[in-house]
Amino acid sequence: MSGLRRHAGRGGGGSSAGEVQRRLRARVTGLAVGFGGAFLLLAGYMFFLQVVRGFEFRTRASDVARRELTVPAPRGRIYDRTYQRTLATNRDSFALDIVPGEVSAAQLPALLDRLAELLNVDHTELAARVPPSQRHLFQPIELRSAVDFSKIAYIAEHLDQFPGITWHSEPIREYHEIGSLAHVVGYVGDISREELQVLFNEGYAVGATLGKSGVEKALDAQLRGVDGLRQRTVDVRERTVSERSTTVRPPEAGNDVVLTIDRELQRVAEQALGQRVGSAIVLEPSTGAILAMVSYPWFDANSFVGDGGGAEFRRLSLDPSFPFINRAIQSAYPPASTFKIIMTAAVFGEETLAADHEIDCHGTFEFGDRVFNDWLPEGHGPTDLPNALAHSCDIFYYQAGVRLGVDTIGQYARDFGFGAATGLDLPGEVSGFVPTREWKASVRNVSWVGGDTVNLSIGQGFVTATPLQVANMAAMVANGGVIYRPHVVREVRHGSTGQIVATTEPEPLHVSTIDAETFEFVRDAMRLVITDGTANVVLTTDAVDVAGKTGTSEVGIEDRFHSWFVAYGPYVDDHDAAVDVAGDTIVVAVMVEAVNEWEWWAPKAANLIFQAHFARQSVLEAVAYLRPWYQSAVLVAD
Amino acid sequence: MLRSDGPQAGRVRSLDFSLLAATVALLIVGVLFVYSSGVASDGTVVSNEWLKQILWGASGLGLLAIFAVTNHQRFKAYTPYVYVATLVLLLFTALIGRPVNGARSWLGIGELGIQPSEFAKVATILVLAAYLSEIGNGIRELPRFLLALGLVAAPVVLIALQPDLGTALVYAPIFLTMTLVAGARPRHLMFVVTVGLLTVFLGVLPAVQQQILGHEPGLWRLLTDPSISRYTLLVLAGVVALSGLGFRVFGRRYYYWMIYGGSVLLLAAAGGMGIASRLQDYQIMRLVIFIDPWIDPRGAGWNIIQSVTAVGAGGFSGAGFLEGTQSHLRYLPQQSTDFIFSIIGEEWGFLGGIFVLLLFAALIGRGVVIFYSARDDFATFVGAGIVAMFFFHAFVNMGMAMGIMPITGIPLPFLSYGGSSLWTGMIGVGLLANIGLARARGRTGGGAQLR
Repeated sequence: MSGLRRHAGRGGGGSSAGEVQRRLRARVTGLAVGFGGAFLLLAGYMFFLQVVRGFEFRTRASDVARRELTVPAPRGRIYDRTYQRTLATNRDSFALDIVPGEVSAAQLPALLDRLAELLNVDHTELAARVPPSQRHLFQPIELRSAVDFSKIAYIAEHLDQFPGITWHSEPIREYHEIGSLAHVVGYVGDISREELQVLFNEGYAVGATLGKSGVEKALDAQLRGVDGLRQRTVDVRERTVSERSTTVRPPEAGNDVVLTIDRELQRVAEQALGQRVGSAIVLEPSTGAILAMVSYPWFDANSFVGDGGGAEFRRLSLDPSFPFINRAIQSAYPPASTFKIIMTAAVFGEETLAADHEIDCHGTFEFGDRVFNDWLPEGHGPTDLPNALAHSCDIFYYQAGVRLGVDTIGQYARDFGFGAATGLDLPGEVSGFVPTREWKASVRNVSWVGGDTVNLSIGQGFVTATPLQVANMAAMVANGGVIYRPHVVREVRHGSTGQIVATTEPEPLHVSTIDAETFEFVRDAMRLVITDGTANVVLTTDAVDVAGKTGTSEVGIEDRFHSWFVAYGPYVDDHDAAVDVAGDTIVVAVMVEAVNEWEWWAPKAANLIFQAHFARQSVLEAVAYLRPWYQSAVLVAD
Repeated sequence: MLRSDGPQAGRVRSLDFSLLAATVALLIVGVLFVYSSGVASDGTVVSNEWLKQILWGASGLGLLAIFAVTNHQRFKAYTPYVYVATLVLLLFTALIGRPVNGARSWLGIGELGIQPSEFAKVATILVLAAYLSEIGNGIRELPRFLLALGLVAAPVVLIALQPDLGTALVYAPIFLTMTLVAGARPRHLMFVVTVGLLTVFLGVLPAVQQQILGHEPGLWRLLTDPSISRYTLLVLAGVVALSGLGFRVFGRRYYYWMIYGGSVLLLAAAGGMGIASRLQDYQIMRLVIFIDPWIDPRGAGWNIIQSVTAVGAGGFSGAGFLEGTQSHLRYLPQQSTDFIFSIIGEEWGFLGGIFVLLLFAALIGRGVVIFYSARDDFATFVGAGIVAMFFFHAFVNMGMAMGIMPITGIPLPFLSYGGSSLWTGMIGVGLLANIGLARARGRTGGGAQLR
C-alpha cells in the first residue's frame, strides 16, 4: 500500500481514495509526456542541426581552422640591353618574427630588450608590435623586416636566449650600380590603400609589393609573377597544427625584363652631363630604342629599404631640385633654337623662300609696334636658309615664320611629334605643347597676334617640348620622315626558362608626308651647324660626323640660359651610304637647365657622348682626347 | 500501464538492471569523451581528466551500491541533520569558497575539492520528500505549501549568492515536480511558475531591450523602470491589501483572484527589479547572446557559436572518435565539462546524440516507473525529485550545446567531467535503485516493513 493512497482518506474536502489515485496517475502521466516531449524536441532539433544543416556547419568548422598563406613570387629581374648586366634583382633578406604564445609574460620585456639591443632599435618600437591582446596567440607577428643575415645567424646560434623568435625569408628588391637609371628602372613599394582600391580586381592584395615608378611600374604585371598559395590548419590560438601544410598553388616567378638601355652608354651620358640639373637622351632613331636616358639629380632606390628608408624617401620627396622627376620625359621646356630644325623643314618644304634666298640680318626685326632682336646684336648680314640654321639667325626665322603663319608652323611641329605624348613605355610622360590660334582665343581669351608667331618661329613663347620630343625631332630628320615610338623595354623573358615572351618591335609613331628632299636639305643644314655654325667650336669630336642644332633659351635669369643640343651621327653626305649606317645612327639630345652655372654645357656633353660612343672610349678617355676643351669642366668621378 | 500489479518481483529486478545498464553506458561514454577532450590536435594526450573520471566513476559505483541497499527510511530520519549541515556548508562555500569561473562554488584543500551545491540537491530532495510525506495531503494548504517552498528556497538563496545561478535554477523543476506529485494545488504551482517566469522576464527585459532591440521598453516600463515602478508597486500592494480586506468581509471569489493576480505582478515586479539591479554584465551578455550569439562572436558568443558549429559539423554519423576538429583544435571551450555533448555531437554525429538521448530517456523513464510504483510516499517523492533533477540537467545541458538553451553551466550527468557532479548522479541512481529494490522486497514479502 502506498502512503499516498492511505492519506487520501483524510485529505482535503471530499476527495475519495480513487480520485486521489486517478489524480496522481494523471499527474505522473503528464510529467512523463512532458519529459518525453522535451526529449523529442531535442532529438528533432538535433536532426535539424546535424542532418539538415550539417553541411553548413561542416564548412564553417573547416573554414574557421583554415588559414591561407601567400607564398610571394620572386619578382622578375631587370637587365640592360646585353641581357648580361642585372639592374634589379632580389636580395635574400629576412624578417624577424615573434610567436608571442611561446614567450611567457615575464620573459617578454627582457627578450625585447635583447632584441632591441641587437637590432639597434628602440625597445618601445618593438613592444608596440606585440600588443597585449595578441600575447597569447601562436600566430607569428613580424617584428622587423630587412634584418641582416649576420643578426639572424647570431640569433640562430643563441636561440636559447631568444625564445619564440623565428624568421622568414622576405626577398628585397636590390638595384645594382643603378645610378642615373633610377628614373628608368623605378622602384617598388608596398601597395597603398588607394592603389589597392584600383588594382584589387587585378589580383593585388594587402601587403603586395608594387612598382611605383619607371619600368617597375609600367611592367609590374610582367614582373610581379603570381603569388603561390598554401593552406594550413590552425588551432584556436593560431598555432599551426600540422607541418604538412598543403601547397595549393606554387608561386610563378615574374618575367625578366631586358631594357634597351646600354649600361655603358648610360654611364657615358651620366658622366657627360655630370652634376648639372638637366637630362640627356641617346636614342636609336632606326627603332626608337632608348640607349641612355639620364635625368639629374637622380636618387638611389636602395636607400628606401631598411633602416631609415622612410626618412630618406621623405627627404627626397621634399628636395627642392625634385630628384623624382625624370626630366627627359616629365619636364617640357621651350625648345628654343632647336625648333629651327622644324622651321627649316617648313620653309624648305613649303617653298616659302628659295633655298638660296638671302635675308639681310641687321640684328633687329620690327613687327607691328614691336622690335625683335637677334641673339647677335650686330646681326649676321645677308643669310640664306642653311646658314640661318647654322648660325641660328633669329631675324631670318622671324621673317620666314611670319610668312609661314602659325597654322603651318604648328602643323609641321606636330608632324615632328611635338604636342603629343610619345607613348613610350614609362609612366608619367608629359606631352609638351604646340600653340594654336583657337587655343589662345579660348584659353587666354586673347586673339593670336603676329608677335606670337614671331616668338614661335624661334621656339619661344608658348611652345614647349620634352627632351625626348626634341630627340624624336632629330630622329625624324635622320630617318627621313618617320619617328619610331621610343621605348626602353627591349624584350620580356620568361622568369625561369629565359625564353623570350615578348619583344618590342619598332612601331612608327609619326610618318611624315614631307618629301625626302626636304629632309636631305635639313640634314645638310644641320651638318653645317657643326662644320661652320654655332656648334663649330664645341663639337670637336672626330670619331664621327655629327649633324645637330644648338639651342639657348632665356628664362629671365641674368646670364643663365637653358642649354639645348640635339644631334645625330654619323652624318653621311651620300644618301645611299646613309642607308648603310642607319642601324648605327644615334640621336643625342642634351638639355641643361638654367639653374646651373652657364657653361653652354649641352653641346659639350653631347660632344663627349659622341666621342666616347664612336671611339669606344670611357668619358675620362674622351675628355683626355678632346682636351683642352674640358680642362675647366667639372667631371663627376664615378 | 506504468504500474506493475501482481507479484512480478523478477521483472522489477530485471528492470532495475536496465537502470544500471543505462547508467554504466553513460559513464563509459563520459569517460571516452572526457578522454577525447584531453587529446590535443597532434594526437598527444594532454589531460589525465579521463583517468580521474574513471576513478570517480568507480568510487561512484560504490556510492551507488551503498545508497541502493541501505534502507531508505534510515535516510529519512537523518534528513533534517543532513539538510542543516548542507546549508551550513553552502553558507561556508559562499563565504570562503574557492572561486572558479567567477563563482565561489568550490570547497576544498589544494587539488581536492567538492562542489557542495551538487550534493545539496540530493539533501534538499530528501528533506523535501520527508516533509511532504509527513504532511500528506496538507500540501494543498497554502501555509504548508509555502513552508515546502521555503525548504527549497534556503539552499537556492545560498547558491545564488556564490553566485551560481545555473545550479540554483535546478531547484525549481525539482520543487515543482515533487509538489506536483505530492498533490499540491495547481493554482499554487501556477503561482510559483508564473511569478518565477515573470520575474526572470522582467529582470532581463531592460537589458535585452537595451542590447538587442535598441528601443524603449514602452508599457513594460510600468514594471521595470525603477522611477515609475515604485509607484506601480505601491498601487499593486494597495490592490492586494484592499482585495484581502474585501475577501475577508465579503468572501467573494473574485477578490481571491485579484489577490492572486496582484501578488503575482507585485512579486514578479519586485523580484525583476532586484534581478535587474544585481545582474552582472556577463550574466546579461549570456542572455543576450542566447538570443543572438553573433552580437559578440569572439567574446560572449564564442562558446555558443563554437558549440553549435561542433554539433552541426558532426552530421549524421559524426567525424569519428577523436577526429573532431572543433574540439581537438580547441575551438570548443570547457569541452570536458559543460560542452561535452558538443564533442559527442561532433564525433559521433546524430546517431551518437540520439544514443545518449535514449540512454537518458531510459534512465528517466525507468525512474518514473520506479517512483510511481514505489511503496511509500517518501520514496515516491525522493524518486520524483531525482528524476526531475536528471531530466532538467540533461535537457538544459544538451539544449545549451545545441544553442536552444542559455548557457547556465549545468553539467551533463554522468558525462561531464567532475567528481561532485558524478557522485551526485550516482547517489541519485542509487536512491532510485533503492526504491525499486524496496518495492521488490515488499512484493516478495521478504523485506523489512517500511513503516
